[in-house]
Amino acid sequence: MEIKVRQKRIDEDKFLEMRKGVLSLWHTGKEVELDDAVGYQKSLPDSKIFHKVVQRVREEGRMVLFPRSGTPIVEDEIELVRSLNELGIPLIPFTTDSYTRNLQLDKAQKGLEESIRTGKPVLNGYPIINHGVKTTRKVVEACDGAFDPRCSRMANSLVGEVAFASGMTAMPNSFFAWIGGYDKKATVEECIETAQYLGRLIGYYADRDVIITTDCHGWLPNGVYPMSVNIATQIIEALISAEQGVKSVFPQINLQGSMAQDLGDIRIVPKLYRKYLDKLGYNDVIIPGIVGSQVPLYPFPQDMGSAFGYITYTATVAALGEVDACFVKTIDEANGIPTKESHIESYRSAKWIFDVVRQQKLEIDNEDIRQEMRITEAEVTAILDRVLELGDGDIAVGAVKAVEAGVLDSPFSINIHAKDQVLGVRDLKGACRYLDFGNLPIPEEIKEFHREKIAEREKAEGRKLDYHASLEDFWAISKGQLIGTHANS
Amino acid sequence: MKDITVITGTVGVDAHVIGTKIVSRALRDAGYNVVALGAQTPPEEFIKAAQETDADAMIMSSLYGMAELDLQGFKDKCLEAGLDDILLYIGGNLGIAKSDDIEMRFKKLGFDRVYPPATDMKIALADLQNDLEAKGKL
Repeated sequence: MEIKVRQKRIDEDKFLEMRKGVLSLWHTGKEVELDDAVGYQKSLPDSKIFHKVVQRVREEGRMVLFPRSGTPIVEDEIELVRSLNELGIPLIPFTTDSYTRNLQLDKAQKGLEESIRTGKPVLNGYPIINHGVKTTRKVVEACDGAFDPRCSRMANSLVGEVAFASGMTAMPNSFFAWIGGYDKKATVEECIETAQYLGRLIGYYADRDVIITTDCHGWLPNGVYPMSVNIATQIIEALISAEQGVKSVFPQINLQGSMAQDLGDIRIVPKLYRKYLDKLGYNDVIIPGIVGSQVPLYPFPQDMGSAFGYITYTATVAALGEVDACFVKTIDEANGIPTKESHIESYRSAKWIFDVVRQQKLEIDNEDIRQEMRITEAEVTAILDRVLELGDGDIAVGAVKAVEAGVLDSPFSINIHAKDQVLGVRDLKGACRYLDFGNLPIPEEIKEFHREKIAEREKAEGRKLDYHASLEDFWAISKGQLIGTHANS
Repeated sequence: MKDITVITGTVGVDAHVIGTKIVSRALRDAGYNVVALGAQTPPEEFIKAAQETDADAMIMSSLYGMAELDLQGFKDKCLEAGLDDILLYIGGNLGIAKSDDIEMRFKKLGFDRVYPPATDMKIALADLQNDLEAKGKL
C-alpha cells in the first residue's frame, strides 16, 4: 500500500482547516480560541512553564518527582494538585480518563455526572474535554506548577487544544507509546498523522514565542526487554515533533532494575537525542532535562514494604544518575487508582532519597556502566540508521516501513500491526538482553554479546531460556527479585 | 467430545494488554481453542465472538478500574444472545478504589469466577477444568 505520510511541516492554512474538525468533536471545543490562548500562555508566570521549571531545577542541582494525578471531580482535582504542590512538586503530569482518551465523551460525561452525584470517582482520570477550558484553567491556576496532560491517540488533538488553551505547557506526543500500549487498531500512519497535528499545534504557539514541551516516551516495553527500541522510537517521536515546530523535547529513561543498564541509559540517551536532532537539522530544539521513570508496565508489588523498596530503588538510581525529574508509582499501585494519602506517603519516601542522595554527587563510573552505554549506543544507532535508510532519508516513511518489517518491534504490544516477534530475558547480573531479535537490525557483534550473556545464565540454571523464562523475569520485581525463579526448580 | 473454546480479551476501552496475552497463551498451551480478541474489546464483541464460535467460556481481563461500568447488564445480554450456558470469568483491578466487595459485585453481574490482580494462571486453569467438568463438558 502506498505510504502517504511524510516528514513535512503542515501548511498553516491546512492546519487551521484541520482544527475546525478537531474542535467540533465536543461542545467545549468552542471555548478554544487560539489568539486568546496564546495571550493566556504569555501571561503565565515562569513557575507554570514546563521547560523553564525543568531548567530551574537543573540549575539548582535538585530533582523533583513527576507523579500522576487525575480524578474526575474538579474540586477533588484541585485538592490533589495542591497537595502535590505542597510536597514541593512543581511538574504536574495530569491523567485523563480512559473514556476521554478513546473519545467516548458521552460515557465520560455519564461517569463524570455519576462521580459528582455520588461524590465517589468512577472514572480513572480527569475528563478534560468535558470540563473544558474555563473549568480547567481553574485547576491550572489553583497551584504553582507546570502541567503536562496524558492522553492517547483518539483524543490527542482535542485534549492538546483544550490543555494548552487552559495553560498547560507540556504534553507527550508519543505515537509509539500508542502502538505499544494504547491503541489496538490504528495504523502507524494514523499515529504519525495524529502526532504531526499536536506537533503543529505546538509549532503554532512556538511561532508566537510560546514554548510548549513534548515528552517522548517511545515504544514502551511491555516485558523484560532491552531499551534500545524504546530509545530509538523516542528519538523518532522527537524528530517528527521537531519538523512540525516543537522546540523543546523531554526524554524519558525507563529504569528497569539493572543499575549498570539504568545508569548507562541515563548517560547516553540525551547524547543520542542531540546527535539525531542536529544530524537532521533541528539544532534549535532544546532538551531542558530528562525524566527517569519506573518502567511503567511491570507488575507492581502487592505488599507495602516491597512497594516502598521498588519505589526507593528507582529514586536512588535516578538520584545517582542526576536526572531532573523522576516518575515513581505509589505504594497502592497494585490495588488500583492511588489515593491522595498514598501519593503523599510514596512521594515523601522518594523525595527523601532524592534530597539525601543527589546532593552527595557521588561519581559512579565503572566498566559495566560504560559497556551498557556502548551497547545501547550501537543498537540505537543501527536501528535509527536503518529506519532512515528504509525511508530514503524520510523518518516518517521509514518509521511506517520499519514497523511493517519488524525493524522496530517490541513484545506484547497492543497494536495489531506490531510484529511481536521479539523477546527479552535478564542475564545473571539482572541486565535485560535480547532472547529473540526478530528482525531488529542489531549489529552481529552485539547480537553475539547478547547470546553469550544468555548462554551464561542457561549454563548456571541448567535450562534453555524461553518464553516462560521471560515471563518469570517479568513477574520477578513484584515478588521482590530481579531475576525470575524457574517455576519447576 | 467437542473442543472447548474460550474467548479472551480486555473489556471496554482498557488498553492493558499484557494480562490477556498471557492468559491466552496459557490456555492454548493447556490445549484449549482460544479466540483472543485482544485489548480494548467492547462487551458486545465478546458476545458476538461467543455466538459465532459456540464458545464455552469467556475470560476477561481488566486493569483500569472501570469494568463495572462496561459490564452493566452483561449477563442479560448473554442470555438474550442465547449464551445461557457460558462460563464467565474476570480478573484484574476491578474497581477504582480497593474494596472488599469486588467479588460479590461481579458475581451479582453474573460472573462465575472473579480473580484479584496477579493471580497465578494455574489457579484459573484448575477452576476452569472443574467448572467444565461440572457442566459435563469435559
